[in-house]
Amino acid sequence: MLLSDRQAFGIAVVLYALSAVYAILLLRRGFREDNWINYLLLLGASVFHTGAMLQRSLPLQRCPINNLYEAMLFIGWTIVTSYVLVGFWSKLRFLGAFASPLLLAIGVFALMPGLDQPYDKEPNFSGDWLSLHAALILLSYGAFGLSCVAAAMYLTQEHDLKFNKMRAVISLMPPIQRLELATGRLLLTGFLLLTAGLAIGVFTLKETHGVYLMRDLKIFWSGLVWVGCLGLLVSRWWFAQRGRRLAWGVVGMFGFVLLTFWGSNLLSGIHNPDLHPVPVAGRP
Amino acid sequence: MPILVLGLSHHTAPVALRERFAFADARVPATLQALRQQGLAEEAVLLSTCNRVELYVVTNQEPPRAFAELQGFLQQCHDYHEPLREQLYGLSEPQSVEHLFKVACGLDSMVLGETEILGQLKKAYDLALQHRHTGGRLNRAFQRAFSVAKHVRTETKIQRGATSVAAVAVELAEKIFNSLSDRQVMVIGAGDTSEKAARALLSRGARSILVSNRSAARAEALAEELGGRAVRFEDWATEFRQTDIVISSTSAPHYILDRPKLTPLMEQRGNAPLLLIDIAVPRDIDPEVNYLANVFLYNVDDLQAIADNYLHQRREELARCEAIIRERARALLASRPPPTFGADSQPAFGHE
Repeated sequence: MLLSDRQAFGIAVVLYALSAVYAILLLRRGFREDNWINYLLLLGASVFHTGAMLQRSLPLQRCPINNLYEAMLFIGWTIVTSYVLVGFWSKLRFLGAFASPLLLAIGVFALMPGLDQPYDKEPNFSGDWLSLHAALILLSYGAFGLSCVAAAMYLTQEHDLKFNKMRAVISLMPPIQRLELATGRLLLTGFLLLTAGLAIGVFTLKETHGVYLMRDLKIFWSGLVWVGCLGLLVSRWWFAQRGRRLAWGVVGMFGFVLLTFWGSNLLSGIHNPDLHPVPVAGRP
Repeated sequence: MPILVLGLSHHTAPVALRERFAFADARVPATLQALRQQGLAEEAVLLSTCNRVELYVVTNQEPPRAFAELQGFLQQCHDYHEPLREQLYGLSEPQSVEHLFKVACGLDSMVLGETEILGQLKKAYDLALQHRHTGGRLNRAFQRAFSVAKHVRTETKIQRGATSVAAVAVELAEKIFNSLSDRQVMVIGAGDTSEKAARALLSRGARSILVSNRSAARAEALAEELGGRAVRFEDWATEFRQTDIVISSTSAPHYILDRPKLTPLMEQRGNAPLLLIDIAVPRDIDPEVNYLANVFLYNVDDLQAIADNYLHQRREELARCEAIIRERARALLASRPPPTFGADSQPAFGHE
């Protein structure tokens, strides 16, 4: 191999950074042009990102989500892959301008020292059900990330429509009603994936620890995210809290996930058994 | 034999003179026939629109003489005996060919870059072609003009953006709503601009139109014309629940819609996006409502500023378009032998 997985991912993050800088230029120009340069930057980044993922997953023969570094790698990969596919349609290519700052933040965070803990003897998530639990939850964060991108676009376009009317008209962004729809649907997708992932986690906990629920920071944190997401969906459909309020809610929720995911994971006994031993059912 | 142009347009002549010199479609073939029978032209096309009347001819006469005779012919056709100086212009090659290309591209139009003129030019050419008044020279020049117009449209931004208040209103609606096909439009106060904006929205698929006016008869007449429904002026707020786009142009001296009035109406509408277009002076809608969530308010100055900005962008593209036109005109003229007499390459008279 020419590059290690971290080197390949590092190159991807550099490309995300270039794309984020280019995105600022696009924003200043009001998205008047078909930003294929940004698309190519993110396409190149996705190749390196996928290479890093493959180097991790091939030896394991499964999705690599055994520590925080890999979790971040996976969330970022779901976002960039979705963008590369959606970007085939030139009218949606500008999504990259909003996705790249998010991908840069996720990438820089993933490369922070201490996140890529070795797991040679016993992976953090072993077994089919635990792998599925982790994969579904991380996919849900990917959906929340894309929902956050759509929400950020909504907020930008809504602000321009109210206060910078010329830029709103000349930009290539879709109508805000469609952005709101995309935000809501991605949020719902993320919620369903999170619900399925947490449900599998609850039953796996019963098998491994003999209980459905236990006092653990990560469980409390996941419940909080689930309730927050449900709250946003309910307020949208039952109380007509839509538009700007929904968009800010989604951005806030995903920001909370990004900022507290690492801490809650580190302080969790069931996700860090070496640091915080937890009694296992049937064992002393 | 060169291609010459003689005519008058909105640049040189007021509407009163333009309408005096206009030709009805039915009269064009006979006019072209007379022109050729009198030996004034070998080939001819007559373009007559509300903004211009132009004769494109191929003649074996020298330009100054040809222009004088063509002017006499035009005046005779319309029985006009007043002297014409600055109002009429005559162009010989290469300016005549460049002018034809400019007209085809909408660069000589009142609204820079508009496309309607291209259709009118095609129609004028087809009419002349059908009646065999064109030949190799004009056929090539007109075909090339249509191809240049297509090239300029795709390669430059000369036709980008809306340049009228009504078209800007439609563009804004398309930036807010996923689709216009299921939108209800309410027109409050039946003014001319609001009618145009409503028509533009209908042409883009708006579902239905409600018209409310102090004069019930005027509301009913406009509603019938637009295929909509009239609403009593006192009752317009009750129809608000189903309305997505409001175009207001009443002559009320005060706001007819303000924040306290709109807040409960928005709740009734489930906070769905609402586009308010206020083209009244004095304004009908309190600017404060723009601070409500999902309310987007535009007054006539906002719409005009967007239209002006688009026009400014089009003007910035003008130099590029003219360079393309000069190059294509030169290429067309270089591909055939020069005129048999000492062709004067300068405009014979008039402007341009």
